[in-house]
Amino acid sequence: MQLLERYLQAVKFWLPKDQKEDIIAELSEDIRSQIDEKETELGRKLNEVELESILKQRGRPILVANRYLPQEQLIGPVLFPIYRLVLKIVMLCYLVPWTVTWIALLIFNSGYAAKFAGHSWVEILGSLWAQLWGTAFLAAGTVTLVFAILERVQRKSHFLEEWNPRKLPPVNNPNLISRFNSIVELAANMIFGLWWSANMSTGVVLNQVNLRIALAPALWRYFFWGFLLIAFVNIGLAVANLARPYWTARRAAIRLVSDMAGSVFFCWLLKANVLAELSGASIPPEKAIQVTALLNLWMGRVFPIAVIFGLVIAVVNILRIVRVAAPTAHIPGKTAAMA
Amino acid sequence: MSSENFDNLRLELRRGGLVVAVLAALHAEQYGYTLRKIMADHGIEIDEGTLYPLLRRLESQGLLTSRWREEQKRNKRFYKLTAAGKQILEQLLTEWRSMDSSINSILKEYGHATSRTVFASR
Repeated sequence: MQLLERYLQAVKFWLPKDQKEDIIAELSEDIRSQIDEKETELGRKLNEVELESILKQRGRPILVANRYLPQEQLIGPVLFPIYRLVLKIVMLCYLVPWTVTWIALLIFNSGYAAKFAGHSWVEILGSLWAQLWGTAFLAAGTVTLVFAILERVQRKSHFLEEWNPRKLPPVNNPNLISRFNSIVELAANMIFGLWWSANMSTGVVLNQVNLRIALAPALWRYFFWGFLLIAFVNIGLAVANLARPYWTARRAAIRLVSDMAGSVFFCWLLKANVLAELSGASIPPEKAIQVTALLNLWMGRVFPIAVIFGLVIAVVNILRIVRVAAPTAHIPGKTAAMA
Repeated sequence: MSSENFDNLRLELRRGGLVVAVLAALHAEQYGYTLRKIMADHGIEIDEGTLYPLLRRLESQGLLTSRWREEQKRNKRFYKLTAAGKQILEQLLTEWRSMDSSINSILKEYGHATSRTVFASR
């Protein structure tokens, strides 16, 4: 029977303090009753193996004890879907940029790269992996801790049980164009068009006694008319979108052309050495030439970033066209014939 | 349907029924081991890991009362239904019968029709 005592002791360890004795007395009695019945059936005392079989059938001590404990959850079913979503967002919006920044530092920052001088690529990747895990655990741990606290508060205050169906977000339709966005786009392009026409036609950006900034006139006229034309197209598109607030394949294609033209003009502007003159009463001519060259140089250096942005915009626009042109595209209350 | 799915659904189905069965069996005073035997004799297998925590929960809710008493030279804990327990049992039985009748009615109207459709499509 020593095996039985050992079993009961193991169960007792995990039981709540105030119920230990009571539960163990009852459990002990139940097992002894089962043993008695078995012994009566066999007409002899049970051996070690038979007793072991009975205890094994009862289950692992921690599991047996666990059934007497109150059911506890770190994060309950109400908060768990939100917790999982936040965890995914954190992993995507924190760890991915963290990794990209780490790689960028390694490539572009010579001081940081010097730390890994003499290391092989495998060792460098190993270092990234180790740091990434540390960061991931910290991020996931922080999110879990916050949600565990929220769960405790929720259990006491039931703040998540109070909700209003009227405050639910509207049905998500990616083909719908917000009228507010169209109004903002219309107003912004009109203001831009008026300002551009009034101030930028000559290519003189600033003409003060202390500072004069002028752009190469022969080159500038292409940009002036180009950006003005794009603004007019955007105004027309915003008016159309305001009247019919849903994307059609044709309008999505016009938006792609307009955005691509804007990106091409902007990228060209950065590489064209368009800044021709920078002068002022208090600026020595040599210094002005230096600053002009430097500004043109830095505009040129921004070019790759502008190209990346242009490509991202193109991808977004192309995806929109594909989505709108898809047979399942949903335009509420309208038919595809409107395209 | 997989066996695991069936086991989980069966467990869910049985959970409420076990409470009714335990309360019903405790009209007469019983201790845990004999209660389990009675249940088993009537076709309801319940393991001790489920029964004892359930008895404690029902006791903490005031539906059962218990006392330690010596029987066959050993101390045993005997459980019995309280007045509140009897009242709840009656309400649960009414609910149980109503549910049973509703399911039967649904089966009569749709269950047989579904079977016929399944057989007709073969």
